Amino acid sequence: MPETISPSEIKKVVSLSKLAFSDTEIEKFSLEINNIITHFDKLNQLDLNNVSPTSHISWRQPPTNPDEPHAWAGREEVISHAPAVVDGYFIVPKVVDKQEE
Amino acid sequence: MEKCFITIGLEVHCQLLTKAKLFCRCGTDYIGKQPNTLVCPVCMGLPGSLPVMNQHAMKLAVRTAIALHCEVLPRVVFHRKNYFYPDLPKGYQISQFDFPIGIHGYFEFFSQGEKKKVRIKRVHIEEDAGKLVHEGPNLPASSSGVDFNRCGIPLVEIVTEPDLHSPEDARDCLIALRNIVRFINVSDGNMEEGSLRCDANISISPIDGQMGIKVEVKNMNSFRSVHRALDYELQRQQKCFNAQQTIIQETRHWDEIHEVTVPSRGKEEAEDYRYFPDPDLLPYLIQTDILEEIKTTLPELPLERKERFMIEYELTEPDATVLVQDKALADFFEACIKELNKPKFIANWVITEVLKNLNTLGQNIGQSKITPSSMVELLKMIDKKEISGTIAKSVLEEMFQTGAKAKDIIAKKGISFINNEKELEKIVRQVIEQNPQSVADFLSGKEKALHFLIGQAMKVTRGQASPEMVKNILNKELLAEG
Amino acid sequence: MNIESVKNFTIEDYIHGFQKKEFSPSEITRLFLDRIQDLDPALHAFLTIDEEGALKRAKDLEDKKFSDAELPPLYGIPIAIKDNICIHGLQTTCGSRILQNYVSPFDATVIEKLKKAGVIILGKTNMDEFAMGSSTENSGFRPTRNPLDPERVPGGSSGGSAACVAALEAPVALGSDTGGSVRQPAAFCGIVGLRPTYGRISRYGLVSFASSLDQIGPLTRNVSDTITLFEIMSGQDERDSTCAPYPPFSKNDCPNEDDIKKMKIGIAEEYLTSGVDPAISDKIKKIIELLSEEGFEVINVSLPHTDYALEAYYIVAPAEASSNLARYDGVLYGYRYDHPINLQEMYTQTRSFGFGKEVLRRIVLGTYCLSSGYYDEFYLKGMKVRTLVKNDFDQCFQQCDILLTPVTPCLPFRFGEKSHDPYQMYLADVFTIPSAMAGIPAISINCGYYDNLPIGLQILSAPFQEAKLLAFSTYLEKRLLVPAPFIETIADRKESL
Repeated sequence: MPETISPSEIKKVVSLSKLAFSDTEIEKFSLEINNIITHFDKLNQLDLNNVSPTSHISWRQPPTNPDEPHAWAGREEVISHAPAVVDGYFIVPKVVDKQEE
Repeated sequence: MEKCFITIGLEVHCQLLTKAKLFCRCGTDYIGKQPNTLVCPVCMGLPGSLPVMNQHAMKLAVRTAIALHCEVLPRVVFHRKNYFYPDLPKGYQISQFDFPIGIHGYFEFFSQGEKKKVRIKRVHIEEDAGKLVHEGPNLPASSSGVDFNRCGIPLVEIVTEPDLHSPEDARDCLIALRNIVRFINVSDGNMEEGSLRCDANISISPIDGQMGIKVEVKNMNSFRSVHRALDYELQRQQKCFNAQQTIIQETRHWDEIHEVTVPSRGKEEAEDYRYFPDPDLLPYLIQTDILEEIKTTLPELPLERKERFMIEYELTEPDATVLVQDKALADFFEACIKELNKPKFIANWVITEVLKNLNTLGQNIGQSKITPSSMVELLKMIDKKEISGTIAKSVLEEMFQTGAKAKDIIAKKGISFINNEKELEKIVRQVIEQNPQSVADFLSGKEKALHFLIGQAMKVTRGQASPEMVKNILNKELLAEG
Repeated sequence: MNIESVKNFTIEDYIHGFQKKEFSPSEITRLFLDRIQDLDPALHAFLTIDEEGALKRAKDLEDKKFSDAELPPLYGIPIAIKDNICIHGLQTTCGSRILQNYVSPFDATVIEKLKKAGVIILGKTNMDEFAMGSSTENSGFRPTRNPLDPERVPGGSSGGSAACVAALEAPVALGSDTGGSVRQPAAFCGIVGLRPTYGRISRYGLVSFASSLDQIGPLTRNVSDTITLFEIMSGQDERDSTCAPYPPFSKNDCPNEDDIKKMKIGIAEEYLTSGVDPAISDKIKKIIELLSEEGFEVINVSLPHTDYALEAYYIVAPAEASSNLARYDGVLYGYRYDHPINLQEMYTQTRSFGFGKEVLRRIVLGTYCLSSGYYDEFYLKGMKVRTLVKNDFDQCFQQCDILLTPVTPCLPFRFGEKSHDPYQMYLADVFTIPSAMAGIPAISINCGYYDNLPIGLQILSAPFQEAKLLAFSTYLEKRLLVPAPFIETIADRKESL
């Protein structure tokens, strides 16, 4: 486990989360997050080698949907409350970079 | 590079043929619909919404995995792929990571006459994203519009191992894969409509069996593009190698207009998707009886069907191959056989005349105006020699164009069935009377004269008689003469 | 009638009153709306008060002229709803500026059930932003005061709902519990708060914070009302994959007094550490003595991984939250930064501006724990420790029927007391987190006061054993006879808030 996370690593994570902070804020965050992370070191006292992870609290088989379409009537409401709509499209600043899928 | 070892792997996405989306009850027929009309809180990612899996979509994905000879994993586990993009309303895509539907599969296909085998790395299920538009009549400048109709449509992703070694192989592999997903009724597999999409990874190396630096190629929107894009990329990489430039590991997209691949913008560092199991979707155990049901109801695969055609109907390999190129065509062929049990005869007409008409009209059999019944009606007439082959061809052409039935076309055109022996005898005697020289020639041993006389009789009947019948009657009459 | 006359009412009492025509839903609604008008300017429990809607609803119910037999089970009962539960047509802000004017186009499943049962929704209550906090000081708008001592916090994140019920601005309310956010404010405000078994109440319409931990829970002035609400709200929901396909809870499932007496009570040494305020541990020890004297078998049990649950929680919960909160990007709903120069700026400014400090902290922490190279170190480890914590409880409930613990290590603290160090605030949940990680049910009931500050007692049981837990709580409530809080007014304090 790393002893501390550097401000540059914090910057990377901040960017991944689509946030933006000033340098002073980044420094403050670094301190706070490092403070929290040092507590996580306690978990290394445990032997977790043969422990399987709990990814879900699952009591039984989950429900599934039938393959039958069912229209939802609330579309107009969503459009009327959206920040920007033109001709039924939700408007955002122009997307320049081509990304996945 | 003197000798060049090429390695290509494909990543193929197919939209599944379900009526509802993968995690909500919205319909899937989004093409041509007004934007944001096939939406609900779930596929728009509204606060408080939760996903619930469409069971039929899961079954189709399992069916795909089985058709590709994969090992099907017992539990369906979804992972979140986290990234930001306007067409992704939740800020993550529900996909699969550690536990895909199927692993370690393979399938065989033909490329340039050779049978090839491709291993399948994985088959998994995931939701599609929405669509972006960058131009529109009222769209403000420097804006894009988002439409969530497509968001949440179920996709199956098929990833091959890098077992392909030429752009032609890659194209043919993709065509075969498309054929498979159509044969098993899992997807439309239509690249033009976007229900089949393909990305490829390609690398070259001077050492046989070794992989070079992988370059990802995207935005290939047809089989032809796949071929050309990979061909271009191959040459580009070879040029780099020869000029001793390093080939950069990157993503490039195919520019259809300029016919080059260009580096994708905004991809300086690899995106970190932070995959983790989706806590909103509990692992779903595929019960044994469901798995068995999917296995036993698996529709016949293209290669299997081809082999059956060769055995059951005694068709040649080339003929059988043509018939299984398109599932609908193969179905049409067998539907005809049900009504008229003459497979080779039917195969001949389907492969030549039916395909010719389809090509002329730019249709596939599903779009055409003929049905197995109407086809068989015509074929029966040909078989019974009620009309000539030539006439039949033109009737068929009209059937394709108008959808009218054979009998109606023939009646309208005034093509009557001159299969009345008595009537033909009359005509033949007339011809004999009018052509004494030819008759004499025939009787003195000139075979050609017979053909001339047949020709004359056909002229009188305006081609509407059966030449066989005319020939027989002529022979009879001439012998009587002689 | 006045508000004091209903201070000890149960839902049954209201229903009887309606049936006997002693009062009407409109009168009761008016009573509570006046109470809110009186107290809330100082208390700040509510973010939205739907006076018009509530009165109209009351009238509509009355116009239906139900016969006694037809009367829906929650007919005319006023309720306040935590602002992270969606109600069609009302604002749902989650205590955040990023959803400041967001109006939900659909009802949460629990809201559908409650409306069908006849409730009258008074409004939406204040909370720590996106349920992240233990004091309601993290609300993006303003903090809520503890009605029992206005200089102290009501707890969090369901502080608004808890304060509202303690101050009798509504007889019952809904909250949500991820690591203790129903139980801890219930303890701080002297009322009852239930966290059901994970999956027992549908999460459809509950805005997600940490999906594998979030549960909706009722906040009430007595155990009977918790039982009544739990019956209505529980049960499978086809719109929530994590909602267990079990039938709704029924009070008929509860054991009778003889069987209650036979229940084995577990006491875990890990929960009675030196870190607990002596006022709390003394109180609990006295209760245990009392129960022993009454003939209950009290067993010492060990939950050895209790001490690691908090750290694991603060890996797992922020990780899930960082993903759940990615949808708040200004595209489709909520706040959007004005005049961004490009898409990137729209995202980053909307989010950096719209989210408060604690939320930002947890998003960054959570993203880090999931990021490439750190997943195994953090998230995977967190999930493994979760297994150990869960196993602890499984083993424990083979030896005993219920477990008794404190709810919090401290009495309600003052505003600002724990804000300087996030981790100090996290420690407030040290006794409520383990049960949330394991998905087991737990309730907080008021077991007494110290210096006019309430002390909460936590009762836990095995998954789906709410019957045992609620029966025992009813029994204990009758034995302890701790009155539900009632205050005349919110005492004047400095405007430091």
